[in-house]
Amino acid sequence: MSEPKVAIVTLTTALLVAIPSESRLAAQIVSKLEAGQYTVTDGALPLSSIRFAPTFEWYRPYTKVTAHGSALLSDQQLQLADGIVSGTFTSPTVYGVRAEMLGNASRALDDRSLGTDQVDVQTRVHVLFHDLGGMWFGGGVARPWRVAVVSSADVADAGIWTKVGDVANRFGVATFTTTFTNFSFSKIAALHDTLSAALSCSTEAPVTNVVGMVASQQAISLATTTNDACDRQSRFSDLETSVRWEAGPIEFAGKIGHRFGDAYDVTPDSRRWSSASATMWVSDRVAFIAGGGRQPALPLRGLPARSFGMAGLELAYSPVSKGAVPVSLPHTILVRSFETRPAANGMEKLVIRVGGVESVEVMGDFSDWSPLTLTRRGRDLWELALPLAAGVHSFNVRVDGGPWAPPPGVPTMRDGFNGEVGLVVITREKGGH
Amino acid sequence: MTFAHGLASRMSLVAARHARCAAAAALALAVAAPTLLSAQDAEPDRLARLDISSKYAIQLLIDSANTEGLPSRALRSKAYEGIAKKADGRQIVAAVRRELIALRVARTQLGDVDDDELMAAAAVIEAGAKPAQLSTFRPRVKNRSDLQAFTIWASLIWRGVPTEDASSAISKLWQDGADDATFVSLWNNVQSDILRGLNPGTALQNRIREAPGRAPPSKGPPPEGQQEREGSK
Repeated sequence: MSEPKVAIVTLTTALLVAIPSESRLAAQIVSKLEAGQYTVTDGALPLSSIRFAPTFEWYRPYTKVTAHGSALLSDQQLQLADGIVSGTFTSPTVYGVRAEMLGNASRALDDRSLGTDQVDVQTRVHVLFHDLGGMWFGGGVARPWRVAVVSSADVADAGIWTKVGDVANRFGVATFTTTFTNFSFSKIAALHDTLSAALSCSTEAPVTNVVGMVASQQAISLATTTNDACDRQSRFSDLETSVRWEAGPIEFAGKIGHRFGDAYDVTPDSRRWSSASATMWVSDRVAFIAGGGRQPALPLRGLPARSFGMAGLELAYSPVSKGAVPVSLPHTILVRSFETRPAANGMEKLVIRVGGVESVEVMGDFSDWSPLTLTRRGRDLWELALPLAAGVHSFNVRVDGGPWAPPPGVPTMRDGFNGEVGLVVITREKGGH
Repeated sequence: MTFAHGLASRMSLVAARHARCAAAAALALAVAAPTLLSAQDAEPDRLARLDISSKYAIQLLIDSANTEGLPSRALRSKAYEGIAKKADGRQIVAAVRRELIALRVARTQLGDVDDDELMAAAAVIEAGAKPAQLSTFRPRVKNRSDLQAFTIWASLIWRGVPTEDASSAISKLWQDGADDATFVSLWNNVQSDILRGLNPGTALQNRIREAPGRAPPSKGPPPEGQQEREGSK
């Protein structure tokens, strides 16, 4: 069976819908609307469809839960495409070391299958070198269902990253990451389980099964056969290097990768891959994006290698999961601006601009010095409505659970505890400082 | 029998008296309980995180402020701040004590003003200004707030401007009728100069000359050349 190649050209729009959040909940709903043209050589996907992709996130300083799904609308029919629920738990950073546990439950619908399910759990240990770089290593297990040649997988990974530059710098900041992931999986199936399993366990000449894995005479020699079942051990490793560069409103991301493994585990079209994307933000929530490349086969999901291209308009910002990119120590200098504006019902709206963080908190005399969490309203925009009485108020701000510091652009003075506070005057006639 | 009878009757009288006392005490407690409970509710729970001696010292300071008619919420807020920032108990007590002293000085210099003004003036004293320098602000001006002036004043001293220079500049601007925007603009300009490496006192001196409301009263049309220069400004 020839490897089908899917070329996807999408027009992407996204809508950020923020729900009113309590200071203790800090939840956001992010929804995406995509209009796309799909081209396939075979399969069940319609030629053109609209894709809805809602995302829900709930996060606290050390916990994050994400639920994401997508559905295709075509010919007035809604068809589920994929869904994933993820949970991430991180420990406080002690002497630059942080532990992390990730868990995912997902379903993916491919144009040539009824859908594959997977549950995976992974733990990692991160070692951070201030704000300049870090490394991690970890391992986990994955259990897929309805994947023809995989029944369970052991995953071990390690990575190293470094950051060059600063967001405030004219040339921006670039983050380089290199990861090495080793997959070891086994297949235990009855000879008559599926056609592909039968082929995998046969003693015929090398064949390519449904996910492009070649079962050779060598592979068969590794298999243990019984009267009505066989199991086989497979192994391959991915080495991938990526770069992400941000300079003002422009973001660029690129990656290249290479897969190591025997010929019966890795097909030629999954040996090497590369991709790139560019994003240009024209406002807080509007960006043009374009990109393309190649994705290797994902045996754990029963997905073949794919080429893709995309061009679109985005009206939202989706925070990147901590588990997907290098973690970094909090850096309060990232706060770019701080402002108070009059809001409805006699409230004052606190507006803070800071990018590349996952949480922003304030505290002051108005909260009896209890931390209050702001809500993300855009790419780097955070807001909170407060009932601030007229008078002078003291403020401190922190990001990602880091140290408290005065906000930028306001008068400051010592707090009597070896630190500083920002001072903001709220007048009765109009707000602001 | 008589003795026993008398003893029994005496004991019953004592018991009845004790019962009445107990009932009265219970009634008094029932009446006072809401007051005691409400007082306990008013007692901030977060002070309980401090060690006993620090908590007691802070409570005494708060009581002193209440007695003197000073805003005790400022002291309580300072204690909460110290707890939130995980400061040592003794450090928190010292900070609260400094706050109380500053409030007393501000009250002495400004007289009967509202709590917001008093606390803003106390910040100026805590920053290092001399008490007598507050006297400029004693005369009340209708529809004019000195909160922004006090805030900028305190911050300038904290940023390293000599207290005399800061006091003189803020007082002069206040007397010239400068509004809040003028004080904020002054602070922004001085701050940017300091970040560029300029001496704080020099930065203030340079910027105070540019502040509006500082021009001398006009005594007639200036010469043509000078008029052009002022227009270009």
